[in-house]
Amino acid sequence: MLKKLLLMVGLACLPSYSYSESIAPYYGTTGNAASTGNSWSMEGVLPTPPGLDINGVIYDYTIQKNVDDSVNVHIQNENAAGTGYIFRETDEWQSGSLGGTEIRKVVPVAPGIPRTSWGQGSIEVDGNGSVQDPSVVYMYKVDPCYDPQFDPNCPGYEIPVPVIATPEIEIYDATEDEYVSLSTEELILLEENEEILEDEEEKEKEEAEKRKRQLRLEQALSIVDNSEMFANSFAAAQQLAALDAATRVSQYYSLTIPGGVYNDTQVLVDKKIDDNKQGLRNGLAQQLLHEQMIQSQYD
Amino acid sequence: MYKKLFLSIIFSLGTVGAFAVDVPISGNVQSRCIITTDTPGVYGNPNAYTLTTATADGGVLPVVRYDVTLADAYYAEITTPTAFSDSPSLSDTVTWTGSTEVQSLSDATGMGSYETNKVTFGQTTQYDLTASGSTWFKSTSTATYGGSKAFPGGTYTANIEAICVAK
Repeated sequence: MLKKLLLMVGLACLPSYSYSESIAPYYGTTGNAASTGNSWSMEGVLPTPPGLDINGVIYDYTIQKNVDDSVNVHIQNENAAGTGYIFRETDEWQSGSLGGTEIRKVVPVAPGIPRTSWGQGSIEVDGNGSVQDPSVVYMYKVDPCYDPQFDPNCPGYEIPVPVIATPEIEIYDATEDEYVSLSTEELILLEENEEILEDEEEKEKEEAEKRKRQLRLEQALSIVDNSEMFANSFAAAQQLAALDAATRVSQYYSLTIPGGVYNDTQVLVDKKIDDNKQGLRNGLAQQLLHEQMIQSQYD
Repeated sequence: MYKKLFLSIIFSLGTVGAFAVDVPISGNVQSRCIITTDTPGVYGNPNAYTLTTATADGGVLPVVRYDVTLADAYYAEITTPTAFSDSPSLSDTVTWTGSTEVQSLSDATGMGSYETNKVTFGQTTQYDLTASGSTWFKSTSTATYGGSKAFPGGTYTANIEAICVAK
């Protein structure tokens, strides 16, 4: 009984354990990229999972050179997303270093370089020398949640909504079905029905056209009416003005001026008109100005 | 008046509570030179009176690794065996030969001249560790029993001494 209980507890725990492990980042190393030569393609070296990030390169080789020679060895990867190299490590074997010496090196790589940027890899030797038994291994880290949809426990996971294809519905028309045989009466009925429908459509069209014509005519007439009204009012105003003028003139025509002598009604009593002193002052002032002006010509 | 009284009380208390304390100062010096056995050696027995680590004779070369994190501060001194640490009883003399050389390194520029600049005295080889990084040294050791006599049967063990000497 106790064994069964333990087994059940173990089985209950197992899925959760493996579940959390499935999204944990894991590390790995590739095989020897230089096993087939001093040049290699990264497609054949790196594993397939997305979210792979190279974090280091381990390499070793034995240099073959004369003691007096200087040789540079480059371990490198081209930048597939641009020019130059995405990774390049140079070993300077100076004169004095012995041939047959092995170098083992671990070179860290800054994380975050997309795997697509890792281009063709190679070992390049500058100088009179060569490399023997090279080994180039890439260390990497894989984040399974690089694609959040990988696992529901991944941050940013969105519940997928299934894409339902819209079915194309074909409308069945029995009249166009060659396998449907209709009787003569039914065919006549169908034709009559179609004719009626066509007539109704034509009538509707005609009525709509008629309504449009009527509307246009009403609009045109309203414009004519407006101008006529303006002309009428203008003519009436002119007639009134003419009548008014005639009335005013006719008042003079109808009066009669009686004959005889018409004496002046204004009589000057004191027979002397004094000069206006204000005018005198003004005249003198003007005279003085005039004289100054004349005099100024001679000054 | 009150201030004086207060100070005097404190002083008296301080006088009563005075005692000596030893404050420890501790420090830890981490070694910048670490020696690790990379490959234990194995003696081959090409003939009855010879024990050798030579690969051609069925032996395995012992390899020792020096990891130095401080450049130009240490010498590596490696001494090949001059006696068995464990062996059957031997009635005759054993002649020892040995040598050490650089097998691998982690910096071609800084360590490339280690081998040409090494100093050998007796069974001891000294390297000037001028660069930081890892260096692997391999040694050969050959023991020849006196008078070309056969080694008695049994297990033979000898040790290479590898030390880091501060400059």
